[in-house]
Amino acid sequence: MTYPHTHAAGRRTGTSSRHDGRSALPVPPQVPDRRGPGGRRLLGLLLLVGLLASVLPWWLGTPAGSLRSTAATVTAAGRITGLIAGYLLLVQVLMMSRLPVLERWIGGEQMARWHRDVGATLLVAVLAHLSLILVGYADLRNQSILAEVGTLLGDYEDMLSAFVATGLMMLVGFSSVRAIRRALPYELWHLLHRSSYLILLLGFGHQFTHGAQLYKPGPVRTGWIALYLLVVAALLWGRVLAPLAFNLRYKLRVADVVAESPDTISIYLTGERLGRLTMLGGQYFRWRFLTRGCWWQSHPFSVSAAANGRWLRLTVKVVGTHTADLREVAPGTRVWAQGPSGTFTAAHRVRERALLIAGGSGITPIRAMLEELPPGAALIYRARTPADVLLSRELDWLAQERETSVWYVIGSRDDPGPRQLMSPDGLRQLVPDVARRDVYLCGPPGLVEQSVRALRRAGVPRRQIHLATFEL
Amino acid sequence: MRRALLAITGLAASTTALVVFKGSPGATQVAQNLPTAQPVNPTPQDVDPGTGPTADPVAGAPTPSVAPSAPASAKPSKSTARPPGSPRATTKAPTAPRTTTKAPQSTTRRVTGPGVDNEYGFVQVQIVVSGNRIVDAVSLSLPSGGESDIHSDDVSSRYDGTGGEVVQKQSANVNTVSGATETSNSYKQSLRGAIEQAF
Repeated sequence: MTYPHTHAAGRRTGTSSRHDGRSALPVPPQVPDRRGPGGRRLLGLLLLVGLLASVLPWWLGTPAGSLRSTAATVTAAGRITGLIAGYLLLVQVLMMSRLPVLERWIGGEQMARWHRDVGATLLVAVLAHLSLILVGYADLRNQSILAEVGTLLGDYEDMLSAFVATGLMMLVGFSSVRAIRRALPYELWHLLHRSSYLILLLGFGHQFTHGAQLYKPGPVRTGWIALYLLVVAALLWGRVLAPLAFNLRYKLRVADVVAESPDTISIYLTGERLGRLTMLGGQYFRWRFLTRGCWWQSHPFSVSAAANGRWLRLTVKVVGTHTADLREVAPGTRVWAQGPSGTFTAAHRVRERALLIAGGSGITPIRAMLEELPPGAALIYRARTPADVLLSRELDWLAQERETSVWYVIGSRDDPGPRQLMSPDGLRQLVPDVARRDVYLCGPPGLVEQSVRALRRAGVPRRQIHLATFEL
Repeated sequence: MRRALLAITGLAASTTALVVFKGSPGATQVAQNLPTAQPVNPTPQDVDPGTGPTADPVAGAPTPSVAPSAPASAKPSKSTARPPGSPRATTKAPTAPRTTTKAPQSTTRRVTGPGVDNEYGFVQVQIVVSGNRIVDAVSLSLPSGGESDIHSDDVSSRYDGTGGEVVQKQSANVNTVSGATETSNSYKQSLRGAIEQAF
């Protein structure tokens, strides 16, 4: 993971005042190279080809015209949905493997969105598979569906565990419906979601003992098993080996905890070899503070300053018990970090200039990114009260250094001022070329939704809108 | 969420399309060859008129005279008749005289069940009955080719023979071989026909 920082060097302007003593940066950050959508498209294509390939064995193994009875047709549909479900399950787990290459090509945020969509499809495919096979088999055997369930559970090896896996998947699926998920405690939801690994295990057997396409030893069966091994390897690499290597290498520790405002703290971290840490402003890590009360929790927080070779900083709003505990973290505490992740960075820009919209503590990734964006960016910082404005001194300094226009928009969402400004016309007045800029949004969901709507109406194409979402 | 709905719709549409594509050439074939074919399975579906249930009393001398040749099925290429004088049938023969000494009317008979067509091929079963016991079962024809070979082998190794499940259970009420549901069902259907004919 290296980013050549060479070509952009000549493009930066206004760097003469950098060394006037205010800069904490020994190495001036530079504009990172653009990362196009190539990786994402390639991977999307690969996954699609895989989907087709997973149904291919059925297509080749079924002679044309062989589906003569209703039962045979229904069973065939059950087999197809079964193959698709088996494949999608693997894709689901792969996307959550945190494999560095996936994080780099697609990004955690995009992956979370795919994961949700594929998840819904997977659940439907599994239920379709189950019911179609039940109806088809019951028809073939000329018995009721309930009796067929009995036959499958009693006479068929591995079928009990497959049924359990389906039940678990339904639980996981329904608990992830947004309305239900909000009503559940996070820990319970998380535990339920963790049981997905069990689904992978429990659903494994029946595919090979009864799958009409996977039953026979041969290339199809071998390939399917190979897919499983690949996904398990990706999980092991992304969730165990890569973080282990990262943390053994950089050995992060808490250096200091500083209050930024009455309810916001910055945690400074130091470590070894930080000069070689490649990270982009706007990315996040999953942090695990190894103290008695906190070690078992891992939370994603953005880094609030670009890589500088000496320290990392995260700025956190105190909202829950975990963040409250973070106030008390003693200097010297070891920190286990997993990352960096995220595509909310200057490298993912598609235009030369940018508009950044931050709400409240959503400023943190944007503050880090400002150091790496090409000069000429614009920042709108929404905050309810002046006391909610964070890192304002740094922002002022960056405004000067990076030729950034900064507007602080203070007030409630319903106040006439902010309301007028966050409308399509208001945005166009403030930033006339808004439609030709990348727009980076980070803040509370209400602000993000409202802004996206206004931006779309102001003529900003969807691909130019970048969202920082941690929802997972 | 919109994309998820799209994906689910795509899933349903493509599954339907796949099934329809695979099913369509056969639909016309069925219409031509089997005008009375019933869509549902319960009754013997495609009973070949030439090889209906036939009972052949073979008194004393058990020569495999029945020897049903491969019946002309809708898909002749898929059906291969086993050699009628299969080793199992002939080795079983010497026991016949013993059974005749017990009861005069009790002879060894070979009863061939109706041929049953399923989506993989043609299935036909022959049983050897001594007195009122089934002493042997032979599958004269099972689907062959590709994957079907494996399933057919499974089915015949489970059901056929003097120690097979048919002889153990003495009825058509045998367990379905997992992974070969349809072939098992067709086997049972033919077997049921043979048993009805024999007793």
